[in-house]
Amino acid sequence: MYFQLAWRNIWRNPRRTIVILTAVIIGVWSMIFLGALMRGMEVEMIRNSLKTLTGNIQIHEKNYRDDPVVENSMTDPALLKKALKTSLPEGANWAMRIRVSAMASNARHSSGVTLVGIDPAKEARVSFIGKAVTSGRYLKTEDTNKIIVGQALLDKFDAKIGHKIVLMTQDMGKEIASKAFRIVGVFRAEMEATEKEFVFATLSQAQKMLKLKNSISEVSIALKEQNLDGREEKTVSENLSSILPDTVYKVETWQELLPMMREYLKLFDNFIYIWHFVVFIAMGFGIVNTTLMAIFERMREFGLLKALGMKPLWIVRGVITESLFLLILGIVAGNITGIISVMLIDRIGIDLSALAAGVEMWGMPRILYPELWTVDVVVANLVVLLLGLLVSIYPAVKAARFTPVEALVKI
Amino acid sequence: MNKKSIVLLLLVSFFWAIAGHAGAADPDPQSLVQESFNYMRGKASISITDMTIHRADWERVSTIKAWTLGEKNSLFLITAPPKDSGNGTLKKGKEMWIYNPKINRAIKLPPSMMSQAWQGSDFSNNDLAKSDTLINDFRHSIEGTSSHDGKKVYHIKSIPKPEAPVVWGMLKLKIREDLILLSEEFYDEDLILVKALTTHEIRMTDGRLFPVKWKMQKAEATDEYTLLEYRSIEFKETLSKNLFSLSNLKNVGR
Repeated sequence: MYFQLAWRNIWRNPRRTIVILTAVIIGVWSMIFLGALMRGMEVEMIRNSLKTLTGNIQIHEKNYRDDPVVENSMTDPALLKKALKTSLPEGANWAMRIRVSAMASNARHSSGVTLVGIDPAKEARVSFIGKAVTSGRYLKTEDTNKIIVGQALLDKFDAKIGHKIVLMTQDMGKEIASKAFRIVGVFRAEMEATEKEFVFATLSQAQKMLKLKNSISEVSIALKEQNLDGREEKTVSENLSSILPDTVYKVETWQELLPMMREYLKLFDNFIYIWHFVVFIAMGFGIVNTTLMAIFERMREFGLLKALGMKPLWIVRGVITESLFLLILGIVAGNITGIISVMLIDRIGIDLSALAAGVEMWGMPRILYPELWTVDVVVANLVVLLLGLLVSIYPAVKAARFTPVEALVKI
Repeated sequence: MNKKSIVLLLLVSFFWAIAGHAGAADPDPQSLVQESFNYMRGKASISITDMTIHRADWERVSTIKAWTLGEKNSLFLITAPPKDSGNGTLKKGKEMWIYNPKINRAIKLPPSMMSQAWQGSDFSNNDLAKSDTLINDFRHSIEGTSSHDGKKVYHIKSIPKPEAPVVWGMLKLKIREDLILLSEEFYDEDLILVKALTTHEIRMTDGRLFPVKWKMQKAEATDEYTLLEYRSIEFKETLSKNLFSLSNLKNVGR
């Protein structure tokens, strides 16, 4: 009977109910929609940075990350290969690289870059570069003095495919090593900074230039599963570290490799909760306000009920049931609109390229696709429902406190 | 001496002249460049030069004392103005160190700084460090001749060897038959002029003809150049190797 009474009560004044419903709907919608946008940004940022040569797990010589010079290279790739073969899960790919900072120059320009020596076939399965070459061609294993550069670097150097770029760096003997490369391909990346930073040559040529024999700087591993929780990374990296002696090698997951990204994700999480809270405060005041209004309007009714012997607790229950209906209606409608708008946006994405410079700084994608996470939706719904009920206790108690005498006087 | 023998002598010398001339018509370009390089540099030298760096809105003159020994070793010391005095550059082979008296440190130039300007001039560190690149990394060919002060000038086109780590697409040299370098033009890969080095005022200095003014000019900016004016240059047979050491770099600078 409570439910029936409550249901009929909220529709006694449809206009007011619709106003408050709208507030709840907009609140829930904005929580879901903005949450999905932020998650989309987050996921895209991680995928980007994982694909931009990070991978899920990397292995380095233990001092390399503190001092990324050629002296801190891994001299025994055979051992690494064996370890990788035994401990990687199915579907995981790996690639060995040389990574060293170098100075690139042509007749008119020069710029600091990172020379990445890659095994073309293996690298294509691990990082973005396999699919990123937009003009010219990708590297081949037998290439001797060929190089792939980013579009932004090419523009900066006023160069064209077929032109020469001279790279200078320090080799194993601390001597200046320089080598001329011809540009065979140009790659595009999500971020201009990536295009400017990396140049790719074959592993063997980089080793020859740096007098490294068959040493390598890093192994990058891409796992098949791309969960962001980091559980699989952890087990695989523990397996690897147990095989590889830790006096020489260091195995790190992307969470360890990109501490900034990790902290940034935490910030995102908190930001979503802060957003929920802000939306809720606005909505909560609306709910309290409307319910209070409804209650003062119905003072005579509550006085009568009291006079008839209705227990105060029952009145509280009645009022709370009314807000429960309101909230549930609003949440359902809010979820539906939220999910529909996410699905609509998901098809085209939000083009952020107008804000390119600002977006770049944070490593955000050029086109944003929202990503709906169940946990965010559940949290949003629970927040609205529970806090909504909590704030409507106040008007409910107020209603229960009316005495018949008060009610008579007020009218 | 009778008439007959005089005629004979004349005839002989005439043929000699023709033969000599024919032989000089196309010297081997590789060795011409090498010889010119050796001639301009000398076995060893001590020189004092005024370097004028000219820009559209300012100009700076500094005085440089330089010691060179062979192709590999050189030491430059700035002696004026007082603000920069003591700054030194030591070059040994492909490696370079710079010394700054204010911090009393000699710094080995990392690869990243090699393509930067030397002392703010239009010469890059690489121009100094890799001066012998001209001989090792290029193939030279003579593509024409002209004359200068009544002497023959060879126009040489220098194309880098395919694997050579040089940024230029082509160099053009003008070398006079008495081995004096008149100009060196640097072209990019599209064969567009980037910068040019020209020499002027060829004079007798310390027993040999030597251009006392050297000008490096970027092609795009006509009001930007670096001018080297030799105040004195002394050519020596040799210099002590100890001169070209890190400790001496600091000593001369102090």
